[in-house]
Parts: sequence; structure tokens; C-alpha cells
Amino acid sequence: MKKVNALILTGFGLNCDNETALAFELAGANSHRIHINSLISGNTHLEDFHILALGGGFSWGDDHGAGVIQALKLKNHLGEKLLSFVANGKLVIGICNGFQTLVNLGLLPGLNNDYTTRSISVTYNDCGNFRDQWVHLAADKQSPCVFTKDMDLADFPVRHGEGKFIADQDIVNQLIANNQVVFRYADKEGNPANSAFPLNPNGSVDDIAGICDPTGRIFGLMPHPEAYNHYTNHPDWTRQKETLKRQGKSLNDTMTIGIKLFKNAVDYIESSFF
Amino acid sequence: MISCIEIALRQELKDAEASALQKKAGSYFGIQIEDARCVNMVTIESDLSSDQLEKVKDQILTNPVTQVSSLTPLDIEFDWCIWIGFRPGVKDNPGATAVEAVKDLLGKEFGLNEGIYTSKRYCLKGKSLTEQDAEKMAHELLSNSIIQQFKIFSSDQWDKDLGANVKPPKVVLDHTPCFDVVSIDSDAQLAQISDERNLALNPRDIPVIREYFLDESVLNARKEVGLSKPTDIELEYISQARSDHCNHNTFQGIFYYKDKSANKEAVENSLFKTYIQEPTLALKDKKDWVVSVLWDNAGVGEFDGDNNYVITAETHNSPSNMEAYGGAITGIVGVYRDPMGTGLGSKLFMGSYGYCVGDIHYDGPLNPPLHPRRLLDGVIEGVKDGGNKSGVPTTFGHTLFNPGYMGKSLVFVTALGIMPRIVNEKPSHKKKTSAGELIIMSGGRVGKDGIHGVTASSESYSENTPAGHVQIGDPYTQKKMHDFLLICRDEGLIPFITDNGGGGLSSSIGESAMISNGCVVWLDKVPLKYEGLDMWEIWVSESQERMTIAVKPKHLDRFMELSKEHEVESTVIGEYTNTGKLHIKYKEETCAYVDMDLLEKGFPSWEFDATWIHPEDRGLFEPVLSTPSNYNSLMLKMLSQPNICSKEWIIRQYDHEVQGGSVIKPLVGVKHNIPSDASVTRPVLESNKGIAFSQSLLPWYSKIDAYHMMTCVIDESVRRLISVGGRMDHIGGVDNFCWPNISFDEKKNPDGKFKAAQLVRACRALKDACMEYEIPLLSGKDSMYVDGHLEGEFGERMKVSALETVQFSAVSVIEDITKCVSMDPKIASDLVYVIGTTANELGASEYYDLFDKTGLNVPKVHFDRFRTTYKAMEKAISSELVASCHSICRGGLGVHLCLLAMAGGLGLEVDISKVALDKDKGELANDTVLFSESTGRFIVTVSQENKDVFEKLFKGMPLSLIGTVTDDHSNLKLIGMEGQEIVNLSIEALEAAFTKPFGDYI
Repeated sequence: MKKVNALILTGFGLNCDNETALAFELAGANSHRIHINSLISGNTHLEDFHILALGGGFSWGDDHGAGVIQALKLKNHLGEKLLSFVANGKLVIGICNGFQTLVNLGLLPGLNNDYTTRSISVTYNDCGNFRDQWVHLAADKQSPCVFTKDMDLADFPVRHGEGKFIADQDIVNQLIANNQVVFRYADKEGNPANSAFPLNPNGSVDDIAGICDPTGRIFGLMPHPEAYNHYTNHPDWTRQKETLKRQGKSLNDTMTIGIKLFKNAVDYIESSFF
Repeated sequence: MISCIEIALRQELKDAEASALQKKAGSYFGIQIEDARCVNMVTIESDLSSDQLEKVKDQILTNPVTQVSSLTPLDIEFDWCIWIGFRPGVKDNPGATAVEAVKDLLGKEFGLNEGIYTSKRYCLKGKSLTEQDAEKMAHELLSNSIIQQFKIFSSDQWDKDLGANVKPPKVVLDHTPCFDVVSIDSDAQLAQISDERNLALNPRDIPVIREYFLDESVLNARKEVGLSKPTDIELEYISQARSDHCNHNTFQGIFYYKDKSANKEAVENSLFKTYIQEPTLALKDKKDWVVSVLWDNAGVGEFDGDNNYVITAETHNSPSNMEAYGGAITGIVGVYRDPMGTGLGSKLFMGSYGYCVGDIHYDGPLNPPLHPRRLLDGVIEGVKDGGNKSGVPTTFGHTLFNPGYMGKSLVFVTALGIMPRIVNEKPSHKKKTSAGELIIMSGGRVGKDGIHGVTASSESYSENTPAGHVQIGDPYTQKKMHDFLLICRDEGLIPFITDNGGGGLSSSIGESAMISNGCVVWLDKVPLKYEGLDMWEIWVSESQERMTIAVKPKHLDRFMELSKEHEVESTVIGEYTNTGKLHIKYKEETCAYVDMDLLEKGFPSWEFDATWIHPEDRGLFEPVLSTPSNYNSLMLKMLSQPNICSKEWIIRQYDHEVQGGSVIKPLVGVKHNIPSDASVTRPVLESNKGIAFSQSLLPWYSKIDAYHMMTCVIDESVRRLISVGGRMDHIGGVDNFCWPNISFDEKKNPDGKFKAAQLVRACRALKDACMEYEIPLLSGKDSMYVDGHLEGEFGERMKVSALETVQFSAVSVIEDITKCVSMDPKIASDLVYVIGTTANELGASEYYDLFDKTGLNVPKVHFDRFRTTYKAMEKAISSELVASCHSICRGGLGVHLCLLAMAGGLGLEVDISKVALDKDKGELANDTVLFSESTGRFIVTVSQENKDVFEKLFKGMPLSLIGTVTDDHSNLKLIGMEGQEIVNLSIEALEAAFTKPFGDYI
């Protein structure tokens, strides 16, 4: 059977490539961890893949703004290839540093079919520091985002110093109107965090945690779905397990919502390409 | 041409960095700043056209959404402006990545005289701000004169066109490299040279060194390569190899131990051999899972049939005390190279930190190089950048405050890696160099940084300590190298690898060439940061992020191809031989030529007098203290003690989830805010096996007896592992000794003999505990000079020594991570048990510390009893009988019940009179039961349903049913020994106390 091929970018300080590759494997894809220079040199061809994942990490140390130099490098060497990859109906996901890279490339937000302009910034957290915590996310069920199909609530960890989403108000309004705001920081029940720290961990405008382009095929988010690849990743799993046990149930090894997100992408490719 | 680009956030956006500065200036110094803005500055020395500069400015350095930038100084108002930049030669990581970006963007190479340098200026507004305020902030908050320089401008002094007028801080040495020949006519002459050149040669080694170089056959052999008397590079090599840091002279030394109270004497010939090596080798024979110990950069244990784990822990104390950020980031990035250089190389999968510092609110007369508050800020940030940017989760850590650490603070860093058991059909834990293989240096370049770091860390801190050994680690460069080397390993390109840490090439090549029995090194091939280094400097420089690798000539092309793809610099700098000689050349000239076995030439052991005096004979006694009447206030006070209270603000700065294997996190409980007993991580995501990891530090007990300090530390770390689901049959240990100077000197170290005896006793305890619990020591290090001479208010210098300290790390393999438990009570109506016996053991407890008392009754470990209990607990957890499990540690039962209540978010009703007591020393009062730090104890919660099975499992062991979990209320209610309620506190009140000292830190 034909398999979905996912390319997970590596090199230059990226660091979530192994677990992102595993997440795609658990979701049914073939994962390929590929060094950026291998794409640039032509040893590996982007067009051989269906999904491009720009994962978390500190590309070039994040020294001149998170994801900036990575975006520049991709734009200079692979700009046209990236645009045709997207135009061919394939999928791109940017997580954390990858999200920062996508907005610096201009692949997001992709308003009015413009995939090259930087109109969004993901910048320093209001709390003034790097922060690792789990967040509750509420999904926009009307969003065209391929990755979050049928999702309502999700818990993932954030781990960043620069995760505050900023854009001009009219851009934010357009994103909302287009249902491009895929995930918002929320409370346990899914009500928006309303900027309250630490529910909204970084001060993002309108609690925005992730956005997609108007087609829903390019998705960027600060939280890490790949870090919820096993039920024991969740901070409350021991409590969930004990509670279920008393009800005569058990915490089954079912697919986590983190893996579900990758599965949605794999399913989409299977239905539209095979 | 020199250009300077200034970048700042748009005025309307919040400047979080500046706000943090404003806050610190207020809370640290009472300086009121009304507004602050940061300006990033990038100084470029290169012949770029104005178009190119614009391109660099707009595309690399400026975010169009959030920032403004200019090639001329930005017009931002201020009353005072502070500019901070690096001193020449200090590692400028953002400067280096900017060079990479500019090269890529413009397709241009940078010559030796070109470079990019970053700096910052802070624009401060405040009506009351004075020049003195600005200077204080520059000195004590924003810069460290060891690595940085600053300028201060008032608004009147500011030239709007010139701005801060930054000159590139590049190193220009203008020096032709050379080596010296050293006269060794007499011992005195060599001793004098050793002093002058900071060689730190031990006087007892000097005759051995002279004898070697004056030997006729040696002289004849040297004549053939054009050498006679020793060269400076040769003496540097010997100095590095013989330093306490590299050679562990203290632990290999002879101790004349005298028990003054019992009038007994004993001679210890080598603490290392007797108390570390022997028990570990004995246990290795017994435990199949011990793969490799005692020789490599880190120890190796079996994870599963296909993978082995690697563990080591280090300290980085001396550098961190002078430049906290630089020292700590270099420490964590440095310890991460150890697993990379163990066996054929492992992939890092977790790390941990430990900080021991003075009182961060200290306002007394002593003047440490860095105030404890500033030091702690710096080390936290250093480990944050080093750990997070390495892509390695920091899953555990601890922070401890004690005045003794003001002399020298401790920074512990731990690293764990994982590697396939078999690589390219060969066992991955074995490695060797062979004649004919090339010596390759990969990673960073060599500069003057870190010269004599090893010998400096083998000395107490004084006003003469050379500052040049402070560095700034570069996790970015190292991460690239890490990824690259793992690919080389898997392709079978690496027969040998080791890291360049203390001693630089001198250690890494010196030691690896012992295996092949010789080498030729071409020092002129070593890539340098700047020209003009002497040969000996290249040889001993501790410039970071470098590995030394052996590669067979037939594999060189492939190795270099991968190196190029990953943009890691690799250079052939020599060849392993079997000539029996360490042969160093610079171009065609020989500058060192010594026998590989020179270091085995009968260098004398160090000797120490050790005198033990029993605590009673030192005048220690139990304080006269009646039992308190207000336990509610007392409990809240205990929770607010710096060594008990929440340090969530530190833990959350560290990524503990990266790599996706987190099972038990450093913070647990319903609000994810209570420190966990241990962490559990899946290093192999396809497997349900995990690694449990814990650490303990109880230096206070050394005030009474370092023997019991050591056994208690080991017991606690074991118990922490058991609490999350660890196994008694697989516990590996790592010991990190941090000791004040033990060499007796009537004037300089009058209690040296006692501290030496404490060391002997701690080592004896180490062996006893390891044998009893069957813990092989997978790795360990010592740092022997934890003293400082601090300037006082009258110009005097006061020696401040740390408590005798050991950090013990324990690691266990979890068979099935889905059976792990956390410490939080989970379900109302569950039963609360205490396992273990509580005795009158308040000596050196947190409770006594509250009253500034020490006492005498230090906790003792009863191995036989505890082992049985721990095995039962292991069974209870693996049979899924308990809902939560927590070890009772510092602060005793009372404090840990509070932690339990907060973690569970449910009420707890407990009767402490039900606790199993040891009444050997008489009846126990409420305060003793609540705050005694007796070891071997757990608190568990169990469902009513499991009551019988659970109790049966612990039959014959001290098990006390002390209360229940309830949702009738959310208070902690304690019934005292006399049957009346002594504590009734809401979780909110507990949380307020627990977060009081650091709750508003982020």
C-alpha cells in the first residue's frame, strides 16, 4: 500500500525531530528526518513528500528572533519549492520554532493568497521568561484546518520564551472571520483564557495559540502536540488512571489527541492523493 | 569598515526584558525607574555596501511587525543610558550566528579581520535616577567586569550621531607563536617557575619531574628530535594531568585517620580504591545490568536488550562563582559532552541541576565576588539557555540555601544519554584508539579562553585567582555536533571519541593516546579563533564544544562529508601511533616529546592527617526546647522556609518535556505545583520502559557527622526512586563530593584534619550504603576546595567554608511506566498510611534550623529494615495497590503532609498519635513527631478496597494507618499526641505560605 511520506526537518539547533517523526509514524505515515542542507543541496527532494513538518527547537540559537534565520535560509534556498509544495495541495505544520519560522517566511497567515509577507510576529512572552507548562486549548470547530478536524479541546505543553502572538488588529479580525484561529488558550472547560496568566502563558493577542492559512493546509502552533504521544505524557495521567480504576475502567492505550492531530493530516493526504 | 545597527521593540509594545530590569532594580536596590527600553546593537566590521547593510538589517535583524531598526542610533529618550558589551575574546554566540546568517544571505566569506559583535544599551527614565544608580545597575545587575564592559551616558552627554560608539571587541594578539625551554637546575628553580607560570605543580611532584628530564636515556632520545630541557608545553601537560581535577589526588591519597574520642587509628591508602572502586566492581560482578564503569567519561547501564543508558554528573563551581551565567551554561553544556564521549557516543535524553548558594537576602558585611541573589539568577539562566538549547529535557533539580555556600556556591549538572547496545556489529560501550588512526578535533575553535581552568578549580578562591578561565558555552554549536556525531557513530566511522573538557587537548589526546601508546600532534593545524596563541596555550586551552575523535584514514572522506553537511568544523590535527611517545609538533618543529608512561613514574601520593572527634566531644547537644503551642503558625513558617518553599519559578524555566518522553514530571499534583519525588522519562519512545531519576543533598547533617550525612543522602535518593515505581534490584548511583579544603595548615586551615576525617567517614558510609542497597557507582566526581576568602567591611578577608556536601544521584529502570505513581492523594475516602518508624531525630533538621540550633540526634539509616520495606513498597506499586506514594524528606512528616494536601487538592484528616514511633530516647512530643527527619519513611494513600491486601504486604513492618483523604473540606487537620486538634489549615493558607518567598518570581 502507498504510504504518506512526512519530512521532518533537522539540523541547526532543531530538537523535536525524533518525537515528531514518531508521532507521524504512530499516525500511519513514513517519517523521514532530513537535514535542511540535504534539501538545499538537492540530495533530498521536497516534492517526494506529502507533509513538511518544521518542528520545535532553537534554530540558529534563536539569537536574532526565534525562527528568523531558519526562515531566511529556507526562503533563500527553497522559496519557490516551498510555494509549489503548498500550491500542490500538500501539508505544512510548524510547531513552536516551526510556527515562528512559518510566520517569518510569510507562509502564515497567507491572507489574500500572499504567502511571502511577514505580517505576524510571535515574540517574547509577557511573563518575561521561558516557560514550560501544559495548556488547555479550545479549537475553532469551523476552522478549515486539516489537522484539527473534529477536535474540540486539547491539552498540550508549551515550552517557549517567544510565543506571544502579535498582529495588527485588522489582520486578527480577518483571521477570526476566516476561522483561521485554530487554537485558543482556554480553561479546562474550553472557555477562552481572556489573557489571564497562566492559562494564556505568553500574553498572545486574543489567546491565539495556533493559526492556519485560508486553505487549512498550513498550520502553525506554539504548543507541542508531539509531546503528547503517549497517555503518560499528560500531567494528570496518574490521577486519570486512578479515577477510572475506581469506576472499574482503565486508561486504555488509545490514541492521544496529540497523535490524532497528526492522524488527521495523514488521513487527509490519503483521501486527496491516493 | 565598522557599522552599527540598532534594533528595538516598537514603542507601543511591552518590553518584557526592560520590565524585568525595572522590577529587579526596584526590589534589589530600591532604584525607581519610570520607564526602560532595551536596544540591541549589532556591530559589523566588514566591507559591506550600504545596500548589503540594509539587507542584513531588514532581513536578518529586524522583525517588521514588532521592531524598528536603524543604521544610526535610534532616537529613544532617556535620562541615563547604559551600554553593555563583551570584552575582547569572550564568546559572543549571537555574533557568531549573525555571521552564519550574513554569509548565507550575501554569499560572502568572512576574513580574519571581519566579524560581527553584539551588545546592548538600556535607556532608563526616572526623575530621581542618578549616575550612581546607573553605575550600580551596570556593575551589579547588567554586567560582569570579567566578561563585559560598560559605558554610561547621561542625556546631555549623548551624541545623537555617534551613539554608544561601539568598537569591535576583537582580539589582536600581534604575537608570533613560540615555546619556551625551562631550566630545571634545582627543585627550587622549578618551583619558582611553576609559581610564575601558574602551573600549580605539587612540590612533591617536582623532584620526579626533574629526575625524568635529567635522565640520560631521556635526554638522548630528546636530542634526536632537537630538544633538551623540558619545554613549557611539556610542563603544562604534566601540570594538567597531575592536577587534582584530572588525577583525583585527594581520593587517591593516603589518610592517617585518628579517632580522637575512641583513641583509635587507621591508615586509608586510597579512598577511591577502597570505597568506590572495590564495591562497584564487586557489584558489577553481581549485577548483569552494569555494562561499563570507572574508566570512561560516564558510566553505562543496561536499559533494555537493545539499548544502554549513560550517566554522569559534574560540578562547575569555581567559574560560576565569578561569572554565574557563563559558568553555569558552560557547566551544563560541558557535562552534556560526557555522554556524547562515552563509548562510541550516546544521544542525550535528560539532565538535571542542583544549586547550593548563600542567603539571597544577605545584607551583611562580607563581599562575595557575586551576591548570592545575583549568582542564583545567573546560574538559573545559564542552565536554562544551555539545557533548553541543547534540546535535552531538564527533568529534575534542587536549590539549597546555606550561608556556607557564600564562600563558594555549588552548581551541579547531570547528564544522561542512551545508545544502542550494538553499533555496526560492535558493543557501543567499548572504544579504542589504534596506531594509524587520525586524530580529529570537531566543533568549536581554540582561543585563550579557559586556560588553566583545571588548575584553578583545584584551588580555593582568592583575590589572585586568574579570571581568564571563565567561558560562555555555546549549546547551538554543540547541538549541531551532537546530531552529526550520532550519524557518524551509526555509520561505523568512530572507533574512539572523547570530549575536550578540563585540560583541553592535553587531556583528551594525552589520555586517548595511552590506548594506542603514542601520537603525533600537529598543533599548527588546530583551528584558532584568532592568531597569536603560543603552542602551550593551544594545547591546554579549554575552549568549549570540542570533541576529539579517532577516524581511520579510509573513513576520512565520509566523515568530512557529513561534517560539511552539518556545518560542523572538523580538522585532522594528528595521528595515533604506537611509538610510546607523546610527540607534539608545530609545523616541522618538535615542541614536546615525552614518554607516554611518564605519568606512571612514581609520582608520590598526597598525604592527609585526619582527626575525628565525636559530636558529643565537640560540644554538640540537643537544644532545650519545649513543645510549641501554636502549630498552625509553625507549620506555615516551616512551609515558607527557603529550603522548603516552592521553587516552581526555577523549574518552569527549564524544558522538561522535549523529546516527548515525560512520564513523571518535576512538578506534580492537581495544580502541577508540588515537587515530585523523582522524575520518570521514556528515553526510547517505542518502549514502555522508563528511567527513574532522583537526587538528594543533606549537607546540614555534616554539622553532626558526615557519615550519617552520606547514608541519609543515599537512603533518600533510593526512597525517592521507590516512591515513583523504581526497582531495588536496579539502582545506579553517582556521587558528587564537594568538600572544603582538607589539607591541614595551622594558620590557613586549622580545622583541615577534622574535614579530612569527615571525608574519610563519608567515604566509608558511601561504601556501606552502596553495598547494603547494592548500588554500583556508575560515575562520580569530586570538587575539593569549596572555600572562599571574602572581603569584609574593614578590608579584612574572612574564610567562609561550605558544609561537607555530597549530591547523590540515583537511577533505576522502570519495567512498565504505566504503573508509575505520583505523590498526590487522588480520591476522597482513601486511607493515609505512614510506612517506617519516627524517632527522636531532629539533629540538624529544618525544624532546629528555624531556631538556628544544630542538636545531636542526627537521623540514622537502618539498612536491613529499610531494604525489606522498600521491596514491599516496590511490590505494592507494581501491583497497583497504592494511589499515591511520597517519601518523607527534609522538614519531616508535618511538612510533607502539607505538600500532600496541596498536591491532592483534597482535605486530609490525620492523627499523628497513630504514627509508629521509636521511643528509645523517651516519649516523642508533637513537634518531634511532626518534624523529625527519620529516614526510611513514606506516606501513601490507598483505597479502602485495597486495605487488607496492602496491610498484609507490609505485615511485620512499621505500618501506621494515620488518617483519611476527604472531600468534606479542603483542609489539613492534624490531631496531636494528646488527642486534640493541633493543626487546621486550608489549602489556600498552605499555598500562600509555600509560595510566599518566591511566588511572584517567574
